[in-house]
Amino acid sequence: MKRLQADVVVIGGGSTGAGVVRDAAMRGFKAILVDRADLGQGTTGRFHGLLHSGGRYVVSDPGSATECAEENAIITRIQPDAVEKIGGLFVATPGDDPDYADRFLAGAQATRVPAQEISVQEALRREPRLNPGIFRAIEVQDASVDGWQLVWGAARSAIEHGGQVLTYHRVTGIEHDGDQVRAVFCRDEKGGEDVQIDCQFVLNCAGPWAGQITRMAGLPEVPVIPGRGIMIAMNHRLVNTVINRLIYPADGDILVPVHTVSVIGTTDVKETDPDELPIPREEVQQMLDAGEQLIPGFRRARAVHAWSGARPLIKDDRVAASDTRHMSRGMAVIDHLQTDGVKGLLTIGGGKLTTYRLMAEHIVDTMCEQMGQMRPCTTAEEEIPPEGTKNYVITHRLEDREEDRLEDQIICECELMSRGMFTRALAEQPDGTLDDLRRQLRLGMGPCQGGFCAMRAAGIAHQSGAVDIERATGLLRLFLKNRWIGLWPILYGDQVRQTALDDWIFQGTLDVEHLPHATEEVVR
Amino acid sequence: MRDAIVIGSGLAGLTTALRLARGGMSVSLLSKGPGGLQLSQGTIDILGYAPDRVTRPLDALGDFAAGHPGHPYGLLGADTVRDAAGFLAELLPDLLVGDPEVNLQLPTAVGAVRPTALAQESMAAGDLKDGASYVIVGLRRLKDFQADLIAGNLDRAEVPAGGAVSARAVTIDVPVRDERDTTGLTYARALDDPSVRATFAKAVAKEVRAGEIVGLPGILGLDDHEAWRDVQQIVDHPVFEIPLPPPGVPGLRLYRTLSAIARDEGVRFITGSKVIDKRVEGDRVVSVSIDSAGRAREYAARHFVFAPGGFESGALAVDSYGAISETTFGLPLTESSAEKLIHGDYWGSEQQLFEVGVRVDESMRVLDADSAPVHSNFYAAGGLLAGAMRWSEKSGDGIAAASAVRAADTILREGN
Amino acid sequence: MNIMNALKRDTAPDAGERLGNQLARATLDHCVKCTICETSCPVSAVTPLFSGPKFVGPQGERFRDGESVDHSVDYCSSCGTCTLVCPQGVNVAELNSLARAKMKQEHGVPVRDQLISRTTLMGTAMTPVAPVANAVLGFKPARVVMEKVVGVHRDAPMPTARTQTLQGWLKKRTPPTTPRTRGPIVFFHGCAGGYFEVETSKKSIEVLEHLGYEVLVPKQGCCGLAQQSNGLFESAKKSVRTLVDQLRGAGKDLTIISSSGSCTGMLKHEAHEILGVEDEELKDVAAHVREFSEFLLDLYDEGEFPVDELRPLKMTVPYHAPCQLKSQGMGTPAADLLRLIPGLTVVDSNATCCGIAGTYGLKKEKYEIAQAVGKPLFDMVKATNKELAVCDTETCRWQIQKSTGVPTVHPAELLHRAFGLS
Repeated sequence: MKRLQADVVVIGGGSTGAGVVRDAAMRGFKAILVDRADLGQGTTGRFHGLLHSGGRYVVSDPGSATECAEENAIITRIQPDAVEKIGGLFVATPGDDPDYADRFLAGAQATRVPAQEISVQEALRREPRLNPGIFRAIEVQDASVDGWQLVWGAARSAIEHGGQVLTYHRVTGIEHDGDQVRAVFCRDEKGGEDVQIDCQFVLNCAGPWAGQITRMAGLPEVPVIPGRGIMIAMNHRLVNTVINRLIYPADGDILVPVHTVSVIGTTDVKETDPDELPIPREEVQQMLDAGEQLIPGFRRARAVHAWSGARPLIKDDRVAASDTRHMSRGMAVIDHLQTDGVKGLLTIGGGKLTTYRLMAEHIVDTMCEQMGQMRPCTTAEEEIPPEGTKNYVITHRLEDREEDRLEDQIICECELMSRGMFTRALAEQPDGTLDDLRRQLRLGMGPCQGGFCAMRAAGIAHQSGAVDIERATGLLRLFLKNRWIGLWPILYGDQVRQTALDDWIFQGTLDVEHLPHATEEVVR
Repeated sequence: MRDAIVIGSGLAGLTTALRLARGGMSVSLLSKGPGGLQLSQGTIDILGYAPDRVTRPLDALGDFAAGHPGHPYGLLGADTVRDAAGFLAELLPDLLVGDPEVNLQLPTAVGAVRPTALAQESMAAGDLKDGASYVIVGLRRLKDFQADLIAGNLDRAEVPAGGAVSARAVTIDVPVRDERDTTGLTYARALDDPSVRATFAKAVAKEVRAGEIVGLPGILGLDDHEAWRDVQQIVDHPVFEIPLPPPGVPGLRLYRTLSAIARDEGVRFITGSKVIDKRVEGDRVVSVSIDSAGRAREYAARHFVFAPGGFESGALAVDSYGAISETTFGLPLTESSAEKLIHGDYWGSEQQLFEVGVRVDESMRVLDADSAPVHSNFYAAGGLLAGAMRWSEKSGDGIAAASAVRAADTILREGN
Repeated sequence: MNIMNALKRDTAPDAGERLGNQLARATLDHCVKCTICETSCPVSAVTPLFSGPKFVGPQGERFRDGESVDHSVDYCSSCGTCTLVCPQGVNVAELNSLARAKMKQEHGVPVRDQLISRTTLMGTAMTPVAPVANAVLGFKPARVVMEKVVGVHRDAPMPTARTQTLQGWLKKRTPPTTPRTRGPIVFFHGCAGGYFEVETSKKSIEVLEHLGYEVLVPKQGCCGLAQQSNGLFESAKKSVRTLVDQLRGAGKDLTIISSSGSCTGMLKHEAHEILGVEDEELKDVAAHVREFSEFLLDLYDEGEFPVDELRPLKMTVPYHAPCQLKSQGMGTPAADLLRLIPGLTVVDSNATCCGIAGTYGLKKEKYEIAQAVGKPLFDMVKATNKELAVCDTETCRWQIQKSTGVPTVHPAELLHRAFGLS
């Protein structure tokens, strides 16, 4: 068994865990993050891409609103490559509560969320596809954010500060010696060996899986309820600013242009198993109706992919367990010394991606307190990418390919991903699946959903020498399988034609169904 | 007034138009685009999997159709398929080889081994033989032909007739333009030039070892159908082409050749406009109209053959509520809702949605829900027909050509 | 309420452009990356400088948000082949045109492009001094200076100025004596047909009159096509609106016949699809305008064309269908029509494009590309008949003639002969 030493082990490679490992490392702790799979594969990668201005919460949750407004400015500054400053609009559509706009404006003022009403005419000029029946419009500072860039940025920063990030390390046990945490046991799934990490502190940032982690420490499961929401990515930017319904938070009230797509979301349904998140047909219909309310003709626009994510909501006795939306979205830190008498184990839940840095600050503060060594948090000050990096804008890749298209190949044409980008990411993550690389590169995330690039990517991976033929074949199979999970629930309109063409290529021309034996990848 | 109007310029449409024109009829061919042949692999499949690998497609066809009620082969039968394959082989003597009775087993661009009935002569040396050794030669600038992936899988392949092969990959660099990302079509156009292909073939020849058969991307010339032979002569080993994903050069060769013959036979091509409506008098269609620039144009004829393809072309569609429709005329289909016809397991059972289509009678007249012809002079051919999983069965070309021949022969028999 | 309707109530000053953009943009959703447009693009076939229609069209458009970052879009010749062949209904060429217009808006339109877009101005300026103008344009050192100063390639085809305009001829000619059995129609000659290709216009009119039509030729300006393809959208809109009024002024619900295949396309669909002009008047003209051969072939299909009057012309001619004619989605009526002439063998070029694409092939930085695009056609023309070639649009005829040395005429010329009118 391999043995590592750390001050703190962070469990969970979502935004919270990445934020925590960065924060801890920046405060000088020897910190190791472990995740059973790749970074950003859970809740963090399964949201709508909104970096909240706070507007969504000015009426329903004033505390969250203020935090979002503050964190939005910080993240936009320290992780510019992950954030596009697109701005947002809250619009009241026909039938919406006519009084809500005034409550919104009052709430915004009280929570210090920048918001300004603009004329309906001006809103329609900026976003000509908007429902012409809108009757109020308020401008806010929403931005869109790439959750994977956010997480990887934080993880890389942690590594620079001496932290360690171990993906595909599944926690198999947490050892505590009486009342003190001693070690975390993991299985290195790719390397095929067991790893013991001696430590004095464990921060459970496993989100909806947090209960499974506390159970591994031999403690009762923490009451985390996965609140499932579905999202649908539409093929292009139907709008260029975030469009929110000017109503009390509800299902399908937001449309976020992020990268090349626009994402409509979301629903909120209580689930039991965060690994089994369906995309029910009726919720897809609900989202399309909601889209139609914002953008007339929405149903005829092209949906490219759908996904389902689970909010990690800590159970709150004040609301019914079936109504997770109205539970507090504020973060909660559970100190297992208080609940279970074990020192050195904290579980964090709730919160939202926009406030991931602040959540990390709080949990590391709590840890410092318990260790009795107060060290100041500096995560809000240090910019993650090289100084001078500008905020992401949609045109970046088109501009980059304009520069290098004669010197490089374009492997994923829909998302303009070059061969160079792919081989660099593969060199960094030779054990990654094509989906792991996809999350960083947007491989196969455009309209053709891997139809043209999947075979190229598998071939290049094999040619690089990092991936043998059985595994290359397995990677191709897995990629197609996973793309389909998000395709079949929205299989209508142009995407049917795309699927038919993709089937024609894979079954008809390539006969992928009759390839020889393929390695089964470790997927979670 | 034309004798016949054919809608669609894929294999089914072109075969119908040619069969009718050769039968002496005046034909106009209406199509929005250039048809699907260039999206295909450029061979003529009849039946590849049923669901096990098929070696004698015409023999297997009867049992297969009996086991799949509603499959077009049930109406068409082996004789018509044989006739249709013969018609294509006769039209394309310098392109197609093979015997419709026996499948060739050809490597694909991921290294699987794919059964097909007629192939282009430039592909035939790829027919897998026990004990053979292959070298797959990739081009650094051609991203759609991953030689290592192909050779790696081919090396592990079982020869369908029994036995094993060996395969290795090499990748060479033969620039034809000042760019790193050269498409197969750009290569094919360049290789139409004898001097370019001599350079190419010499570069390939350097890599080949004694006794090896040489697998190359399907880019050996576009309009010069003998280009591959030149390459083979210089390489001095048997060479074969492996078809790539679109743009498929072998498919383009079929399209360009068939449409050129059709033009020579007097077929009028009206391309670029969608057919939007039909006018009916009594039990007959009298004209169809297209949305040409500025206004609709109407085309009258005595017979109409509708060969627009299936879901891949948009001839069939599913709306956001899951309703399936035939998008041009709203013809009756075998299913109306997609809801129960798709599932989430990519590698699981067939997605039955892609079996949906129109029902036809034995002469390929489109039928309504009561199994009566919708119109007495309105036929369908190709991918629009219900009942087949064309891509997984590897049956699309056989269905297209045979349904085209059946519809055309019915029309010719009925005359004007 | 759908997206289209939602857009129509936008009355902001830039409404037209946004509307056009959104109309074309919505079609990008139909792209399934099938590569059919790329296989048909005549420009990307000959140069890697143009990244191809799929790349700059539905693919690149997903990455655009106002700002122009991909200058290679300027290598698109606007031939429109991509839109024509797209089986999925993506307005590929229109997306490219909009991206290029945006680029020019940000970076300015070169003086050269503004000059060569003013076709009427060139015509009126050159006609009075035709011999001098022709001498200058035929004089190599003058063309070298022109290339250096203005950026028009020294070997690019230029129109030949005529000493008499079409209107001049109409005023002076003896009125036709043929009985007018078929009622009035309007003739739209286009700038070239008014000033440079006067013979084509005359012969078209005489053929139509021979068939029994009363041919009305109202005063008419430019359709704005050259301005549009050079990104000068505002001027182009002005031009086309004026022209629409002039053509409608000739009489209500009259069929409008044009011997300029490309200008016909502008009226039928490009002004709407690319410029975003939504006027009812334009729609009315679009529905009434017919390309010369289209009109006559329809007559034939209706049994109204006097085939038996056609005298044999014993020869073989190459025929090239121009891009802007093919884009109208009605086949190649001229080829089918000419085949009615006894003894005449018409060989289709089967070439995508001659390379000129309006004004593209004139430009010094694109001349070589245009020549490469046209090469298969030029070879075919020379191999088929060294004496005569046929093509429907004027700039394509100039390109073929200049590049092959083979005199190239409008189909009307052959019909004129076959009817014994010349």
